[in-house]
Amino acid sequence: MAEQNGLRRLIHTVRSAGFGESPGLNRGDLVASEDALQALLANPALASTRLTWARPGESVRIVKILDSIEPRTKGAGGAGMFPGFLGPALPQGTGETHVLRGVAVVVAGKLPRAQEGMVQMSGPAAELSFLGATNNLVIEFEPAEDAGWPQVDEALRLGAMRVAVALADLALEAEPDEVHDLAPLNPGTGGSLPRVGAIVNLQTQGAFKDVFVYGRTMAASMPTAIDPNELDDGAVVSGQYGHPGLKNPTFVHQNNPVVAALRDRDGKDLVFGGLILSPEPVDQTLKELTSAHAARMARQMGLDAVIVTKEGGGNADSDISLKIDAFEAMGLVGIGIFAEMSGPDGTGPPVVGPPTTATAMVSTGNYDERITLDAVDRALGGEIVDLNGLDAAAEMVLPVAAIYGSLSPIGLGRLTCATEVTA
Amino acid sequence: MKVVHYVNQFFAGVGGEEKATVGPEVREAPTGPGRKLASLLGDEHQIVATVFCGDDYAASNDAAPAEILELIKATGAEMLVSGPAFTSGRYGIACGRVAAAAHKAGLVALAAMHAENPGVAEAAPAPVVATGLTAREMGATLEKVALAVKKLASGQTLTPEDGLVGSIPRRNRLAESNAAARAVDLALTRLAGDRSATEIPMPDFGAVAPAGPVTDPSKALIALLTEGGLVPAGNPGRLESARATKWLRYPLEELPGLEEGSHVSVHGGFSTVVANENPNRILPLDVARELKDEGAIGSLYAEYFVTTGNGTSVADGARYGVEWAAELRKQGVQAAILTST
Repeated sequence: MAEQNGLRRLIHTVRSAGFGESPGLNRGDLVASEDALQALLANPALASTRLTWARPGESVRIVKILDSIEPRTKGAGGAGMFPGFLGPALPQGTGETHVLRGVAVVVAGKLPRAQEGMVQMSGPAAELSFLGATNNLVIEFEPAEDAGWPQVDEALRLGAMRVAVALADLALEAEPDEVHDLAPLNPGTGGSLPRVGAIVNLQTQGAFKDVFVYGRTMAASMPTAIDPNELDDGAVVSGQYGHPGLKNPTFVHQNNPVVAALRDRDGKDLVFGGLILSPEPVDQTLKELTSAHAARMARQMGLDAVIVTKEGGGNADSDISLKIDAFEAMGLVGIGIFAEMSGPDGTGPPVVGPPTTATAMVSTGNYDERITLDAVDRALGGEIVDLNGLDAAAEMVLPVAAIYGSLSPIGLGRLTCATEVTA
Repeated sequence: MKVVHYVNQFFAGVGGEEKATVGPEVREAPTGPGRKLASLLGDEHQIVATVFCGDDYAASNDAAPAEILELIKATGAEMLVSGPAFTSGRYGIACGRVAAAAHKAGLVALAAMHAENPGVAEAAPAPVVATGLTAREMGATLEKVALAVKKLASGQTLTPEDGLVGSIPRRNRLAESNAAARAVDLALTRLAGDRSATEIPMPDFGAVAPAGPVTDPSKALIALLTEGGLVPAGNPGRLESARATKWLRYPLEELPGLEEGSHVSVHGGFSTVVANENPNRILPLDVARELKDEGAIGSLYAEYFVTTGNGTSVADGARYGVEWAAELRKQGVQAAILTST
């Protein structure tokens, strides 16, 4: 059993994935029943759904990507995974969690306010998205004629979670490749090591641009402390479909990279001192209140330094600036993770609303730089790319911001930006 | 090296603001500041011609840089020097665009203007040397320009010590570790006392001094402008919903106000439902007409300007601002209401 109050993470590495008659996970080969998964997507708001695998190295592009989820389960049917959606909104982050590593459930299609985000499964562009390296089960859909968009959105969210849990259920009896025992945060340990924590800003701009905590929007909340193990069990779920390059899908919250980096070094050269979730209000006064409050919470946790992440651009940038400024004003260290917007040629100023006193930021790349996607054999998610009106499988030149998760402002990617040094 | 010099109508001695609309022309000799520059360059480099153009023509006409480039190429020069434009926005933009066009055409090119002139961003990849604020600093500025010309002509590249300004391009690349791990490294570096460590240098935007109030609004010509992406239904000019690469102008005619369905917002950064139900809430034509009828304002300019302010780079934003200001000045507009979303 896992340590009391801790979480045991059982990692099953998937090397190949597909549909077949004998569902299960055998030596990294995942076989799922298409009919069983289709049945989980049945919903009056959806006229039809289609399931297709898109695998690394294939000549495939997925366009109009909405959310993506890593398959996980705590027992048959989920047993508490995605609290507030698939089960009651009770605290999670203890017991055992099975993880299908190397697989993602990806919803792709048109919803209002969604901005075109895509992934190329082969070639250099594949490296720019975390979905370029996973076996992706893509859910395409046709809304029912009489369904409202919020109902369609909800049907897709619940359906994708059920599919993700059902895939992970196939691993319940399999031997895990890795086992991680994750203790809950214990603020009393660590001696004289510096205490470093994280503030995770969640976008809260209403329908289709919202993020859920235990099934509820965080829009009207003040910042709140949470144990990192709760993220592992789906306490944070994305319903945010704007800014493809700057979004934090559910997959990324399940695998929060700042949490992972702090865990890696906990007890070695730092103490992982706390994790705070914060909304990104759209109102300036609320932004200031929320930022000051989050900074005070971080101080109460005894943090010496805090890493602040965001979702979205423009508006969300000031949430980073305000929070790291508020923290620096207390004589502490605030670090922002940030995507630059310095124009297609990279010569513009990288930050539009810079902090006034805090100056330490990690770059996740220039949003505006252009990349060329080679033509592919087939596209999933739609027939036309809305950004340019081109056939979804055609060669195209796009800002890197159109690649799903490319500029991950929560720090998942390796993309960065630096001044060009010429001879 | 044979050098061609680009200046505006004022420094060519043609005239001031009243001549800002004149098109490009050539003089077969150094003109205005070019005479002093020629003497500083000595015998080694000759200014073989001066090309000039009115500021409005050069900065608000998309075809102008290409027209000017044709005249430059016809002089047979191997190098172009534009400016110095100091802090003049339209002149700076023209100098930047002309330098960029000449560079692309294979000439050695150099522009000179103040570091905060929006034209700096237009010159890339041609280099820009910084000048003082105004033509009062012409002497020292031309000495710096002459040194830069000599250095470039000898095949060297300019450095900040030569007065080189403008951002050196930042390019995407893949780092060894992900951004989260690097953020933890940066936190520990800062905690260890290195207060300057950062991957992103923080920019300084300076400040724009607002214009003085309009003396008598009841006699003023007022323009309506918006970054709210409001376009006639069907979006005939294909304005982008984000990262706009252009601005557009559309007629307001004698409409009392905007109607639902006649205009729509294509802005991708906010919910446009309310805006599309009543487009006046993005572009307040209804209230502006009332104010005109009451006599509170003199008249309304017959067109509105629009772009989409969503993920727009500062360089593009600054350029649209200068172009709008130039156009409004040319049309005799005294004040503008620019709505932001």
